[in-house]
Amino acid sequence: MNYTVRMKGKVEEKTSEKDGLKVQDVLDEMELSSETIVSKINGEIVIEDSVIEDGDEVEFIQIIYGG
Amino acid sequence: MECTKCGSRHVIIQRKESGQALCKRCFIESVDKKVRHTIKKEKFLKKGDKVLVALSGGKDSVVTLEILNSYRERNIIDLCAVTIDEGIAGYRAEGVEIAKAHAERLGIPHKVVTFKESFGIDLDEIMAYEKHRGSCTYCGVFRRWIINRAARDFGATKIATGHNLDDESEAILMNYLEGNTENMAKIGPKTESNSEMFTVKIKPLREIPEREIGLYALAKGLDIHLAGCPYAHESFRMEVGNIIKDLSKEHPTIRFSLLKGFDKIRLALREELTHDYDYDRCEICGEPSSNRLCRACTFLEELEHDNDRL
Ligand SMILES: [Zn+2]
Ligand SMILES: [Zn+2]
Repeated sequence: MNYTVRMKGKVEEKTSEKDGLKVQDVLDEMELSSETIVSKINGEIVIEDSVIEDGDEVEFIQIIYGG
Repeated sequence: MECTKCGSRHVIIQRKESGQALCKRCFIESVDKKVRHTIKKEKFLKKGDKVLVALSGGKDSVVTLEILNSYRERNIIDLCAVTIDEGIAGYRAEGVEIAKAHAERLGIPHKVVTFKESFGIDLDEIMAYEKHRGSCTYCGVFRRWIINRAARDFGATKIATGHNLDDESEAILMNYLEGNTENMAKIGPKTESNSEMFTVKIKPLREIPEREIGLYALAKGLDIHLAGCPYAHESFRMEVGNIIKDLSKEHPTIRFSLLKGFDKIRLALREELTHDYDYDRCEICGEPSSNRLCRACTFLEELEHDNDRL
């Protein structure tokens, strides 16, 4: 399965063999915290439990910055 | 997963503290309702108020403006906004543009005030000095000075700031840990003073978690300035914030209970610990001050004294 991750203007192509890959799995892999980030799939806001499907564009928007 | 309220399958948040799952529409409604509840409970607004919003263009201030605008649309209050340009290259300009655009979109009187025009020096220049007290100290004091003055210029009866639940719980715990009882008596939903030159400050978002404010802005499609201040640095406040963040993972209600508990003892604290300051005018700028010079003018004199380049 192929999907893309967009964050801060950068787009990254990704491939996963895992069935039922969740947004939370991608956040964990990228060492990002769901406490500071809002996730979107294909432009719609989703919860971290959402499953990513082939061809999806996942977007991470950091809404909390330190300080 | 389905929305707890309407059954929609497009859930955008799961609230750990309550188990609630909400779709976009029900989430927006829920935040609106919570803020309206805070405003009512704390008697933040009365009919005819003119509220000045300290509008940075960040999520907290944009959402504050957006929600207060619903009161303006119902002719309950009038609004105006001030944006402060501290002079931070590569950071502030975008926020200022976003703030301007929101004020224009809503038709709200707005002005941008710079540190440079107010104090003859901007934050980048201060930070280039050898001796200084750290960016946040100046920012806090100088910003308050500008906001107070702007409120009088606009004829505002209230000042609204974007403080959220995370800010408030950090401030409470920090003051406990530092044993700063004087500040404990001062912090709270409304900041009032016996000097007529200070305008009452209100915090409509104080019961909304920071992440929810960001989510609300995105859900409503509001343009917000998303960036961290380049001068943000490790501070005791940040350490306290991290402790609360860590604890919240397993105990998602602690921010709420910390605030609620504090609100219950706050009035007793105030009775016990507040003393009325005698305000006079600052000898240099004329702003209210309990000393010969206000904090802003004290800092400016100190910078001049400590750094001969000025
Ligand atoms: Zn719903
Ligand atoms: Zn002064």
